[in-house]
Amino acid sequence: MLVSPIQRAITEPPIVRRLLIGLTLGFLTLFLFLPLAAVFYEALRKGLGVYFAALVDPDAAAAIRLTLLCAMIAVPLNLVFGIAAAWAIAKFEFHGKSVLITLIDLPFAVSPVIAGLIYVLMFGAQGWLGPWLAAHDIKILFAVPGIVLATVFVTFPFIARELIPLMQEQGIEEEEAALVLGASGWQTFWRITLPNIKWGLLYGVVLCTARAMGEFGAVSVVSGHIRGATNTLPLQVEILYNEYQFAAAFAVASLLTVLALVMLAVKALIEWQAHQTRRAALAAKGETEG
Amino acid sequence: MQFRLKQRSVLPGFNLALGYTLLYMSLIVLIPLSAAFIKTADLTWTEFWAVVTTPRVLASYRLTFGASLIAALINVSAGLVIAWVLVRYSFPGKRLVDAMVDLPFALPTAVAGIALTALYASNGWIGSVLALIGIKVAFTPLGVVVALVFISLPFVIRTVQPVLEDLEAEVEEAAACLGATRWQTFRWIIFPAVRPALLTGFTLAFARCIGEYGSVIFIAGNLPMVSEITPLLIVTKLEQYDYRGATAIAVVMLVISFLLLLLINLLQWWSRQRHAI
Amino acid sequence: MSIAIRALIKRFGHFTALAGINLDIQTGELVALLGPSGCGKTTLLRIIAGLENADSGAIQFDGQEAGHRHVRDRNVGFVFQHYALFQHMTVFENIAFGLRVRPRARRLGEIQIRAKVQELLSLIQLEWLAGRYPSQLSGGQRQRIALARALAVEPQVLLLDEPFGALDTKVRKELRRWLRRLHDELHMTSVFVTHDQEEALEVADRIVVMNHGQIEQIGSPQEVYDTPATPFVYQFLGHINLFKGRAHAGWVRLGGLRVPAPEYQNAKHTPAMAYVRPHDIDLLREPEDGDTTLAATVSRVSILGSLVRLELLQQSDGEIAEVEMTRERYATDPLQPGDAVFVKPRQLRIFLRDDSIDYPPVYWNGGGI
Repeated sequence: MLVSPIQRAITEPPIVRRLLIGLTLGFLTLFLFLPLAAVFYEALRKGLGVYFAALVDPDAAAAIRLTLLCAMIAVPLNLVFGIAAAWAIAKFEFHGKSVLITLIDLPFAVSPVIAGLIYVLMFGAQGWLGPWLAAHDIKILFAVPGIVLATVFVTFPFIARELIPLMQEQGIEEEEAALVLGASGWQTFWRITLPNIKWGLLYGVVLCTARAMGEFGAVSVVSGHIRGATNTLPLQVEILYNEYQFAAAFAVASLLTVLALVMLAVKALIEWQAHQTRRAALAAKGETEG
Repeated sequence: MQFRLKQRSVLPGFNLALGYTLLYMSLIVLIPLSAAFIKTADLTWTEFWAVVTTPRVLASYRLTFGASLIAALINVSAGLVIAWVLVRYSFPGKRLVDAMVDLPFALPTAVAGIALTALYASNGWIGSVLALIGIKVAFTPLGVVVALVFISLPFVIRTVQPVLEDLEAEVEEAAACLGATRWQTFRWIIFPAVRPALLTGFTLAFARCIGEYGSVIFIAGNLPMVSEITPLLIVTKLEQYDYRGATAIAVVMLVISFLLLLLINLLQWWSRQRHAI
Repeated sequence: MSIAIRALIKRFGHFTALAGINLDIQTGELVALLGPSGCGKTTLLRIIAGLENADSGAIQFDGQEAGHRHVRDRNVGFVFQHYALFQHMTVFENIAFGLRVRPRARRLGEIQIRAKVQELLSLIQLEWLAGRYPSQLSGGQRQRIALARALAVEPQVLLLDEPFGALDTKVRKELRRWLRRLHDELHMTSVFVTHDQEEALEVADRIVVMNHGQIEQIGSPQEVYDTPATPFVYQFLGHINLFKGRAHAGWVRLGGLRVPAPEYQNAKHTPAMAYVRPHDIDLLREPEDGDTTLAATVSRVSILGSLVRLELLQQSDGEIAEVEMTRERYATDPLQPGDAVFVKPRQLRIFLRDDSIDYPPVYWNGGGI
């Protein structure tokens, strides 16, 4: 590669560069790569037999089922909300918009423990709705509905936060064009808006799913830790760990880690895809105009 | 609060979308959150003050805010270097490293907690090395800092990175042409440009740290007065059915979190103002 | 289809975008809305389309009230400034969109849709791009696709927002000519917005000059160029020279120049401004009798292809004046910087600056002294 004098004028001496790269890799190894490696090392330390035994254990299987169920309810709920909120915020100008955006961020600022606590205050035996729920024999706290609610709260902003900037950037011209051409509101949404946001939407859904399955603090407060009934995967990890079944704890943890890695891969894929589209577009433009 | 359109629009669905947004947000977020504040109103001001200022609670504030501050500061300096390296230099595996920076966002906190504990315990890969020079990390306040550094690692990097990417090479070239050394260019040109992003990243990281629970409880040891964080104290009080005490401490945390959220918004508004010249 | 606009008012917060617009557009006309940015021309176009709602006033299509009709039901074709092509659809699907979203009862069959799109693609001569995506096209190609997409629904009126604004000069010229030809073939009522006077003069049948939300003048390209109704139109269309002076008792004095103005019989030392086009000026070496010239000095001579532009410093107030002439004409007397000359306007237009009395502009073509 040719390095022009000016390029050299705004870069650092090789020694500084190497030092900074070394610092970066050192820090990330210590705080990122080693913990990641430790999960798989500890999980497989006692051999594959122990590893798979931990995963097919009835309690672990129940935890997997519950975690999937929670995500399957929480993610679609937040998906519909995210699209509605982004549509209102990105496509219209209205008073109070910035307040609304701040309110959507609120769950990010709340400790997961407090997220669990507020549902205890709502639905607990001494909570607002507790006596009424007890009278009608409806269980929310220390049962699946409570876990779902806490999960919904914690993952509430994710899809909306992903879609709002994306849709703001896209503007409303394409929607206007569709309306002028005679499309109805739903046709415009399904045929124009949704295809334009599909990648951002996908990433939002993946992020929301990963967080929904991995939530610990909030779920821990509302779950009641009933084995085989109200334990999600992260809670199962905690129980096994506290019982000194380290290999089993890390085996279950490795499942969640794989999920996290899949999420990172999807993100990288989407970014790469956007990058490729841009490059292809530039190349094609050069060709047709040149 | 009245959400009213500034101009009528030909696009349909505003009332439906906004109405649904507000309804859903009220049911999931606003009403439950208000429950905490209303529950606290059961206590008189003196009772409230007594609950949130017992020595054990005060010790937990000191640990939570102290460790969060240290972790956020570590991440400001490390984050600036990492963002710089990821934007400016190329090295083998850079794309992978860049993608992995988001791992703490993606990894469940409980998993992070046990992994870090395994690493930094006195028989772990890193802990055993540190034990040789007499440093104990796991089950001490230092362990809390390590966990918090991990979970708030991406914030500073991800806020600083785009700003560095948008920085025009021409400005630095101009500085070089005017005779500035590389360090002077950094000190007077680049650093002021990324300062708002650093500040935003710091606040985001700090806000995340003070609420963190899952990763910390495994590595902290959870000794009252020594290595017990405030969120854990809330859980402990809940388990003892002390709802009032738990709620009172939660309200203190909530108020601080809201103030931080406000600060983040102000910071972002401020940096937008500066960039919109 | 004819369009009638009556007393149209539109405000955005405290900003008045349109301050009472009245305009009639005849069937088959090609009309340009011309003005500087922020003059309200795009807002007017969007209100005609139904993309924006007026605060008050009426719009009629063929004499029928249309203001309450939804954009979807107005049957207009709209070409957006940045084309607003659907990024995720091919060129073919973009053009077919308007046909595919019709209510089932009025929807064409797939074969007819294909035929219609092919017909439009051949009209814009881009059949070979049917399978491409918008991001793979050049600006000029996108522009023509956007036009074909608008025409697919067989609109009664075609509205174009700065149709050539985002293109480079060469492509812009080509497309201008092409649009004019297309209009002559289709004879569809068309309105386009532009801030480029050359574009408006070249393409339009009639020009509507707008400023600050009001219409300054409506007329053919020749009318608005030759007989501007207001100082704004004078300044906005073509280059001008401004001479300042005073009107008094039927005469206007501009430095050494005295112009008869019987309309201003009652004016008493009222400040006046005279506008002269650079090509409406003769330069003399010697003053003429009867106060018909202004003394000046040549400060700069530029050869611009077939034209020569001279910059003059007026002796009376040191203001700069510009004169344009053909090279042949310049060759008969090649003036050089520093030469003293006498400026003789062949025609000029005078506007009086007196807010209390509404004086009509005076047009003078050099004779009658």
